Amino acid sequence: MKHLKSFNKKAKMLDQATSQNEVEEVVAMQSIVGCTSVNDPGWEVDPFGGLGSLCQPMESDLYGCADACWWPAQVPDTMVNHTAFGDTAPKANEDWRKIDSVFPEE
Amino acid sequence: MNNNKTTRALLGTGALALAGLVTLPAQAADAERIIRDRCLSCHTETGEAATPFSRISEQRKTPEGWMMTISRMQQQRGLVISPEEKRAVVKYLADNQGLAPSETAGLRYLLEKEPNVVESFDQLLQETCVRCHSGARIALQRRTEDEWKNLIHFHMGQFPTAELHAGARDRAWFDIALTNVAPKLAKDYPFNSDAWNSWQKVIKKDLTGGWAMHGYVPGKGTFDASLHATKTANDTYALVLEGHYADGTPLAGKGRAVVYAGYEWRASLTIDGVKVRQVLAASADGNSLEGRMFERDDEIIGGSVKAVKGTAITAVTPSYIKRGERKLLTISGNNLKGNVKLGSGLKLLNVVSRDANRVVVLAEASKNAAVGSNTVKVGSVSAQGALAVYDTVARVEITPSDSIARIGGAGGPIPKQKSAYRAVGYAAGADGKPGTEDDLRLGYMPAAWTLKPFDEIAEHDNDIKYAGTIDKDGIFTPGDAGLNPERKMSTNNVGNLSVVGTVVDGGNSVQGEAHLLVTVQKFVKPVIE
Ligand code: HEC
Ligand code: HEC
Repeated sequence: MKHLKSFNKKAKMLDQATSQNEVEEVVAMQSIVGCTSVNDPGWEVDPFGGLGSLCQPMESDLYGCADACWWPAQVPDTMVNHTAFGDTAPKANEDWRKIDSVFPEE
Repeated sequence: MNNNKTTRALLGTGALALAGLVTLPAQAADAERIIRDRCLSCHTETGEAATPFSRISEQRKTPEGWMMTISRMQQQRGLVISPEEKRAVVKYLADNQGLAPSETAGLRYLLEKEPNVVESFDQLLQETCVRCHSGARIALQRRTEDEWKNLIHFHMGQFPTAELHAGARDRAWFDIALTNVAPKLAKDYPFNSDAWNSWQKVIKKDLTGGWAMHGYVPGKGTFDASLHATKTANDTYALVLEGHYADGTPLAGKGRAVVYAGYEWRASLTIDGVKVRQVLAASADGNSLEGRMFERDDEIIGGSVKAVKGTAITAVTPSYIKRGERKLLTISGNNLKGNVKLGSGLKLLNVVSRDANRVVVLAEASKNAAVGSNTVKVGSVSAQGALAVYDTVARVEITPSDSIARIGGAGGPIPKQKSAYRAVGYAAGADGKPGTEDDLRLGYMPAAWTLKPFDEIAEHDNDIKYAGTIDKDGIFTPGDAGLNPERKMSTNNVGNLSVVGTVVDGGNSVQGEAHLLVTVQKFVKPVIE
């Protein structure tokens, strides 16, 4: 993956990291405001500044990730904060249209 | 303080003369009463006059910050409060426990909802905290050390994965946050500050009157407008906006503004049928308003705006002229009276039109005019470096250089998140080499827009077919949300793309590129990221 221009500075270091240990050393990457820089796995950007290592399609993993509160600023976590998230859409793969933003528009 | 008693006492001594004075204490007393009525079922009175309410009185933040906390009280804690009461409490807390203008400097992008900002905080904060949300959300708060610690405890309870992510699980995240980060935050972002103490003493300027506003709207271009503000109540204004875009299309709207902490201007307007928001900061002298205006339902569609009250130039558009070229230039501002001077090597051929807010001139740059930035003058006011004289466009930069867009729509509840680009031209400067320190910034230039795959993977997965399209104005609209059975593993319409902007200068085409990652929706919509 050496040919990838990195999405950000830390991801550039990640390009060169070969083992999982090395990957963990460079995780505190800068990212665009609004995105999470958590990347094990990431929500919108993978550790290599691309999309290849994300849960794709995201619907297949949405509730698995939401349960775990892995990206609480991106996906409502059903563990503590939004226990009702997804109630109306029990099968994310089929019913993704019913998933709603938890914050109302003002 | 008893609201009724205070009001009655003041009214007793001459209601009319004191009407203006009564408003503020009455509002404050109301808000304190609401806090007592609504919050003290859980929070307690401390008995300290300076910090009367537990957990509430030893932190300061922006109006958005307060709105976010109180929304959490409703959504997570069970606070019951009416929308009017909530507004009153947010106003009171943002006014009395807000931030000084200087405490928001360099961080206003978060309030302005500026898209595609890449932040950089010091390593400790970046690693410990800036992982789920922006760093500016933190840096736009001021707390005592105890309150920073309480915040960390709250995170641990509410978001327990904070210590499990890569970069946290290999260390004692919670201990580091409490023993290293909290004291550092208390030092860098202290509850007590000279900046806030002195800002509280400043007599805040009334923002009533006629303003000359200049701004930019993606897809429409730059605009000039007069903004008329009429005070309707304390810190509240009725607004009328009227003007035109650079291509002559008129623009008109009406709305309302509320001012927090004496300078934080938050306005809602409807302009030509579209709901927009303004997040502006008033200068201490009350003569300028600066910030960003954006569509309420599509925050990406927005741009910087500046309004001035006194005599001033807000912009010269375009901000460049090529040697040997003849061009129409628009000088925008307020009270523009007197002779126009464009600087050496530039001839003013003709004043095409003029009024107090806008002077349009036909200018010509001589073939051997010096390459550099010129100061433009109208009568006694000048705008330094407002007009660049150049030889050739040597380099084009696309802003933002790193960007994301998010799939959405398709009948789903989360709209698509677009991205919008502009091309900035540069001349090579004295050394003749583009990409060096002395490059001369020419400003925003019209460009033609195309997309291409960012790398081989994107090419192989045919991202370009699915991820979205870019229009002639540089606005990218991402693909539909949902599974796409046409794609490998029915993946979403995501993609890794390059945005290419091409500027034509004389006979040459100059290109710049930006990175665009089209990614998945964000399900949480916070007040500020
Ligand atoms: C039903 C109980 C309840 C009510 C009512 C309540 N709170 Fe809270 N408040 C809490 C709890 C629990 C916490 C600590 C956890 C947290 O921060 O969410 C808290 C924390 C806070 C904090 C500190 C947050 C931080 O970021 O450090 C503030 C400020 C606050 N509340 C303000 C208010 C205001 C203002 C009201 C009334 C308008 C209010 N609360 C009403 C329960 C309540
Ligand atoms: C696991 C993800 C995560 C990490 C790591 C994290 N935060 Fe947060 N933080 C959140 C979420 C989610 C919220 C939104 C809470 C709400 O809905 O009000 C938040 C809210 C906040 C707020 C606003 C609270 C208020 O009501 O005023 C501040 C300030 C803050 N975080 C600071 C920090 C600091 C400091 C750190 C590092 C010690 C940190 N955060 C680390 C997820 C995180």
